[in-house]
Amino acid sequence: MKLSTAQFTALEQELDSVKQQVQQQLGDADARYIRRVLLVQRLSALSGRILLVLGFITPWLWLAGVLLLALAKILDNMEIGHNVLHGQYDWMNDPVLHSKRYEWDIACDAGSWQRTHNFEHHTYTNIIGKDRDFGYGLLRLSNDFRWRLRNLWQGGTYLLLSMLFQWGVSYHELAAQRVFAGKKKADRHSQVSDSELKKAFFGKGARQLIKDYLFFPLIAGPMWLWVLCGNLLANLIRNLWTSTVIFCGHFTKEVYAFNAAQCEGESRGQWYYRQMLGSSNFTGPTWLHILTGHLSCQIEHHLFPDIPARHYPAMAKQVQAIATKYAIPYNSGSFVRQYSTVFLRIMRYSLPGGGKAVKGL
Amino acid sequence: MLGNQSSLTLYFLPLLQRLWPGFLPGQYRARLVGKQWQTADMLQLSFQVSGRWPGFLPGQHLLITLQHQGRYISRPFSICSPFSLWQSHRQIQLCCKINSAGEFTPLLQQLQNGTVVNISAAQGDFCRQQPTLPTLFVAAGSGITPIASMLLSQRHWLAPVTLYYRCRGSENAALLSELTQLAARQPLFSLMLSDSRTEPAETLQQQLLTDSNDKQFYLCGPAAFMQQIRTALLSSAVKPAQIQQEQFGLAMPLATGHSNDATPLTASFIRAGISTQVTLNPQQSLLQNAEQHGLAPRFGCRMGVCFQCVCDKVSGQVRDLRSGALSGHGAEQIQLCVSQPVTELVIKL
Repeated sequence: MKLSTAQFTALEQELDSVKQQVQQQLGDADARYIRRVLLVQRLSALSGRILLVLGFITPWLWLAGVLLLALAKILDNMEIGHNVLHGQYDWMNDPVLHSKRYEWDIACDAGSWQRTHNFEHHTYTNIIGKDRDFGYGLLRLSNDFRWRLRNLWQGGTYLLLSMLFQWGVSYHELAAQRVFAGKKKADRHSQVSDSELKKAFFGKGARQLIKDYLFFPLIAGPMWLWVLCGNLLANLIRNLWTSTVIFCGHFTKEVYAFNAAQCEGESRGQWYYRQMLGSSNFTGPTWLHILTGHLSCQIEHHLFPDIPARHYPAMAKQVQAIATKYAIPYNSGSFVRQYSTVFLRIMRYSLPGGGKAVKGL
Repeated sequence: MLGNQSSLTLYFLPLLQRLWPGFLPGQYRARLVGKQWQTADMLQLSFQVSGRWPGFLPGQHLLITLQHQGRYISRPFSICSPFSLWQSHRQIQLCCKINSAGEFTPLLQQLQNGTVVNISAAQGDFCRQQPTLPTLFVAAGSGITPIASMLLSQRHWLAPVTLYYRCRGSENAALLSELTQLAARQPLFSLMLSDSRTEPAETLQQQLLTDSNDKQFYLCGPAAFMQQIRTALLSSAVKPAQIQQEQFGLAMPLATGHSNDATPLTASFIRAGISTQVTLNPQQSLLQNAEQHGLAPRFGCRMGVCFQCVCDKVSGQVRDLRSGALSGHGAEQIQLCVSQPVTELVIKL
C-alpha cells in the first residue's frame, strides 16, 4: 500500500466529512429536483407513446416519439431508478421514490439488481472473482483472466451485450448462481432460492415484453407495427446508452482491478482508496450528467452510493483535491476519450497476452 | 404493470400532484378552519374534512401527514370532537400537545387557516363497547382527547359514568369547559378532577378501587401512569376484560438479560441489498438506532400505529415496547418503531 495507516485514517475522515456536509443540507431542493425529473420522465413517456401512434401523419412525429420514449426510459433507468434503488431518496419517505418500493422500466427485477449491484458490485468493486461486473463473465478485460478462444470474437459479444443490456443485467444473478447451467460454486451463498430467482426473472421479463410488444401495439390498432418498432428502438437506444455509460465507469484504460487477498480486512479508508482507483469519471455538460444518472461521476458514486446523485459534480471537486493531496490517481477525461479507451481495452484483450489490471496497491 | 409501480395512481403521482398539490394516494384532504389554544401547550385544531373521508368512531385516532424539508412525516392524533360535529358539518377537531423541541407538532402550530393537510382514515379500537354498563373513565394529560370525544358523542345516557381527569391543575386541563357543561346538564355524568401537583396517584387509585364494583374501565394517558393504574385495578377484583386502554407515547423499559452483558449488541441492517453492521443502543427503538447510523427506513407514526416501518427480521429477538412481549428468534415481520433489541439481529430494511 502506498499510503500509511495514518494516511488512510486521515483519508477516511476527509471523505466522511465531504459526505456529512452534503447529508446535512439534504432537504426541499433535493425533493423538488427529483420530483421534477420524475415529472419530465412521465411526460416524455406519455408524449412519446402518443407520438408513436401519430406517426401516420408524418414519420417525423414517429421519430420524435421514439426519441422521447428513449429519453423517458433512460431517465427512468439512470437518474431515477438506479439512484432510487440505491436508497438515495429513502429519507424523503415518499410513496414512490423509495428503494423498497420502486420498480423500474427495464427487464431486471429491482430486488435482484439490489443484490448483485448494490451489494456485490459496490462492496467488492473490481475484485477479480468477486465482482462479476468486471467483464460480466463474458468479456476478458485484462490479463488477469486466462485467454480463451471465445475471447477472439468478444468485440461482437460486447456489441450484442450492449444491445441486449437490460437482459444481461436481468440474467446476471441467475448466471452467478448457476440457476440454469454450470456447476454450483461452493462458496456462493444466496439469500434467495433458485426458484425465487427464476420467478422474478421470468415474471419481470414477461411483464416488460407484454407491455412494450403486445399491449401498446395492440391498443394502437392499425399503427401496431410502428408502435412495436418504436418501442424496440427506444429500448435499444436505452440499452446502448446505459451500457456505454457503465463501461466508461470501470473499464477505462487506467482503471485498477484487485485480488481478494489485497482487500482482506481492509479499513474504511482503504475501501475508499480502492473505490477511487477502481472507478473512472467523464466530464460533460449538466444534461449529460443527468442522462447518465450522474454516473459520469462514477468515482463519487462509488465513494458515496447513497448520497443523492445531483451532488456528485460539486463533490467531485473536493474529492479530486483530496486525491491530489494523497497522490491517488483520479481517472477522469472527456466522454469520447474515456470511451475510446474502453473500446480499445475490449479489442486488445480479445487477443492473448497484455497487461494486468491488478497492480500493487 | 404498465407503469412498473404497484398502481397506476403511483405512476401518475408526479402529474396528479401538479394538478392537486399535496395529493397523496390512500389519504384524505382536510382543510384547517380553526386553531385554538386549550391550555398553554394543547392546541385544538378544527378541520373541514373531505366528503370521501369514511368517518370515525368516538375514541379513534388518525394520522396527519405533512411535508417538511422534502420529507413526508406523519403522527397520530386522537379526535376530540363529538360525532355530531362531523355528521352535521363534516368537521373534526384534534387536540395536539405542542412540543416545541419536537419535529412535528411545531409545524402544526405554524399551519395557517385554510391550509390543506392529508389525514388517514380513522383507526384504533379504543371505543365505548357497552354504553348500558356503569363506566369509569380515567384520563391523564392529553389522554383526555379520545375520552372527551366518547363522552361528548354520547346521545342516550343509560348508566352512570364518572370521569377521573388527572392533570396539572385546571389551567392545564384541556377541554375542561366542554366537560363541565356536560356534567352540568347530564345527571348521570360526573367529573372528578385530580391535580397531579397536589394529589398523589395513590389517592386516585384508592378512589377508583372503592368505586370499582362491576364497572367498565377506560384508561388513556402516558404509558407509565396507565401501567400503574392497571396493575392496581387487576390486583383488586377487576378482570382484564373490564379494562380498555389506549397508550400515548412509549415507555422504554430498562433492557434486561443479554443486553446487560459487557459485549454491546450489534445488528446487521440489510438495506437496498447492502448489509450495514451497527452497534445498538438497547435503550432505543430499532428505528432510532437505524436512523442514527444514517440508514433511512420508511417510517410513519413512530408509535406502532401506522405499520409503515414494518420490515423483515431475519433472525434475533426483539421486545415490543408497548406490551413488553418478546418476539421469537426466527424470521418474522416487526415494526421498527416499537421494537427494542434484545439479542443480535439481522433485519432487512
